[in-house]
Amino acid sequence: MFEKPEVLKIASSLAAHAAARQSAIARNVANADTPGYRARDLPDFAETYRAEDAAPLRRTRAGHLGAAPGPAVPAAAERVGGGTMSPNGNSVSLEGEMVKAADVKREHDLALAIYGKSLAILRASLGRR
Amino acid sequence: MSDFGTSLSIAASGMEAQAMRLRHVSENIANADTPGYHRKVTGFETVLDQGQATGEVRLGEVKLDPSELTRVLDPGNPLADENGYYDGSNVDLVVEIADAREAQRSYEANLRMFDQARQMSASLLDLLRR
Repeated sequence: MFEKPEVLKIASSLAAHAAARQSAIARNVANADTPGYRARDLPDFAETYRAEDAAPLRRTRAGHLGAAPGPAVPAAAERVGGGTMSPNGNSVSLEGEMVKAADVKREHDLALAIYGKSLAILRASLGRR
Repeated sequence: MSDFGTSLSIAASGMEAQAMRLRHVSENIANADTPGYHRKVTGFETVLDQGQATGEVRLGEVKLDPSELTRVLDPGNPLADENGYYDGSNVDLVVEIADAREAQRSYEANLRMFDQARQMSASLLDLLRR
């Protein structure tokens, strides 16, 4: 039922994207001193959401094969040409990761705020303010 | 929710590895004047679970630095040879302090990641509380 309003769907997949990206960032930071480790990152939410939205497969019957239901979060991939490589083959930049972490936090707060406000609107329309 | 779980465990493994590294640094500093002591060097490695990288990190095997020991001139020392020299340690305090600083910075970065993942999951749970 709550998947119906588009805004709730967008907000929940933005929150899921932020959580997955946070996990990728935590992995980069933990491996900041591991020799040979390459930094990973997720593509932007805007790109992936549009790609997911454009998927033409839609299930009209339960027996059909189609796209998996629910918001799909892409897997973290190695970043190409991002940052400088240190002599031990590690490409993590702690400063860059901190910037991305702040970005993710903002993204997540935004998603939760929108979700919360949308729920408040639904609640207000039901007269249970 | 599982994404926050992995974030927390990865950040915790990073903190643990950096703390172990700091421990080896302090062992080196404590033994800077021990005759014949070779400094310990450590590296990091990724944790594998059934051949798959989990993203966690741990301290690799501890090795001894094979570089030459410093020769200390102290004829009064019982360890001194006929020329008055004995083998000191190969610990360079400046290198150790720099290493300790780096470990501290990385520890703080991991701690921030841990705290952020915790805050994010707490605010997610706050939605349920309304």
